[in-house]
Amino acid sequence: MSEKTAEMLFEERSHRLQTAVRLGTPDRVPLALVLDAFAAQVMGVKLSDFASDVELAGQTMLDAMELLGDVDSIQFAPYAPAMLGMAWLSPVELPGRQLPENTLWQVDEQVRIVPEDYDRIVEEGWSAWLGAYIGRYLGEAAAAGQAMMGAMPHWVSEFRKRGYVMFSPGFCGNPFENLCGGRTVKEFILDLYRIPDKVQAALDVIMAEERERTRQMVRAGGPSGYWVGGWRSAPEFLAPKLWNRFVWPYLQEMVETVVEEGGIPVLHFDANWDRELPRLKELPKARCVLALDGKTDIFRAKEVLDGHMCILGDVSPAMLSLATPDEVHAYCTRLINEIGPSGFILAQGCTIPFGAKLENVRAMVDAVK
Amino acid sequence: MNASKLAQSLGDLDDAATVDLVQEKLDSGESALAILGELQDGMNIVGERFAGGEYFLSELIYAADIFKKAGAPLQEELKSAVQNTYGTLVLGTVKNDIHDFGKDIVATVMASNGIKVIDLGVNVEHQAFVEAIKEHKPQLVGMSCLLTTVFDDMKEAIKTIKDAGLRDQVTILIGGGPVDQATADYVGADVYCKTAQDGVIAARKVLGVS
Repeated sequence: MSEKTAEMLFEERSHRLQTAVRLGTPDRVPLALVLDAFAAQVMGVKLSDFASDVELAGQTMLDAMELLGDVDSIQFAPYAPAMLGMAWLSPVELPGRQLPENTLWQVDEQVRIVPEDYDRIVEEGWSAWLGAYIGRYLGEAAAAGQAMMGAMPHWVSEFRKRGYVMFSPGFCGNPFENLCGGRTVKEFILDLYRIPDKVQAALDVIMAEERERTRQMVRAGGPSGYWVGGWRSAPEFLAPKLWNRFVWPYLQEMVETVVEEGGIPVLHFDANWDRELPRLKELPKARCVLALDGKTDIFRAKEVLDGHMCILGDVSPAMLSLATPDEVHAYCTRLINEIGPSGFILAQGCTIPFGAKLENVRAMVDAVK
Repeated sequence: MNASKLAQSLGDLDDAATVDLVQEKLDSGESALAILGELQDGMNIVGERFAGGEYFLSELIYAADIFKKAGAPLQEELKSAVQNTYGTLVLGTVKNDIHDFGKDIVATVMASNGIKVIDLGVNVEHQAFVEAIKEHKPQLVGMSCLLTTVFDDMKEAIKTIKDAGLRDQVTILIGGGPVDQATADYVGADVYCKTAQDGVIAARKVLGVS
């Protein structure tokens, strides 16, 4: 039998992923990895170089995919970690710069947004306010974001030439996360109690602009996956009355906007979302992917969302770092059998961490075969 | 035991009523230590509701903030009180990790539950934990991280405490986004705290607070 071409592999893998998203049963459970610092680690690339050169990052991520072998997809590539600052509205400290070489990049969260900024966002509009804020704190983050998004079409093509699918190359905003990041968790939560109307007014202004930006992005990007992220907006952090007012309406609207335009919302939900899993049934059926990081009970998620939403996950970063390959393989097999084989995509929780054992990642990859 | 009106108002997160009741009690001559005790009873109600799934992290943070605000007028008198805390916690985010999100919340919640917190900040050198233990003689050490890459730093910090001959003097609590029981076993900590309230429960147990 002749070898499959890269294009044949790409089509096969795309079909596998699409089948899982539509809650069907693929020929095998697909994989969708997030490889960033781990790619640099296994390819012997200095983290400072990886973090500062978007083309090198793309090549390193592609090489790491080749090293791992028969992997269906990567969620996005290339990468420029400074761009994380745009999601958190906080600068990112980088290896070889503010941090020692081969130290993982980290978001420098401090109080940068003050209560008066809620009024300013309403008065000036989100884009104008954000432009000034970027000028003060996030010049590098914005440049990194532009570099990454500018390079992405080229790397979508490069991965395809090797038979790999880029599963979710788009990123949607989350107004709650933006403000929470720049305000810090504690101060933002206190604002939700003490000046709720001001916060909500700002969130509404942000959402109106982000909705249109997202609509244009999905129209331009086509029917692939789009991250809709939530971490500090996880239900474990917020009372239901706060979550129902400040998180869910915006998340729901963002998801529905992506779906309306033909995209696949990938709900990158870090931390524990157990309490609100039933709410996710209000989102369009068989159109979204729920990506969990090991903190939400994925087995309960399956019970609640079976027949409604594809689930992706959730081999935790701690397991990939500390467990044995046999333990990883056993856990992945359990996921495949109990969460899959229908409507399931196997993946790490959040991202494969810097310092993960290569043999553990291989054990995860091998589990689907 | 029925909660006092003050304890109940804090337990119910009634910001204004809690502040007013503290002032009324001070005006009527009640001791700051007794009022503080009622506020701590209020935090117990919050803790119980958190444990029961009725409250979440946001309520812990808000309650701690009300506690701090309502308790502010007591501070001057409390300075001369013999004992106004149950014990001491040395707390920090371990070396090579600059995240303070979890650590700050733990500091806030612990302090409002009667535990003196010595906050060493973020990116704390291993030896700094040792120096703080020598200086402050805590019963508890808390270590936090948000990165799996610093598990070895956490392990090394605990080893440094052990090498200094101080390990038996402290109970080490750990927590943070990627931390779990396996991490606690790996680094040699005593208690894994999934939430800030888990930390309070563990601390109260160690300190013999009912």
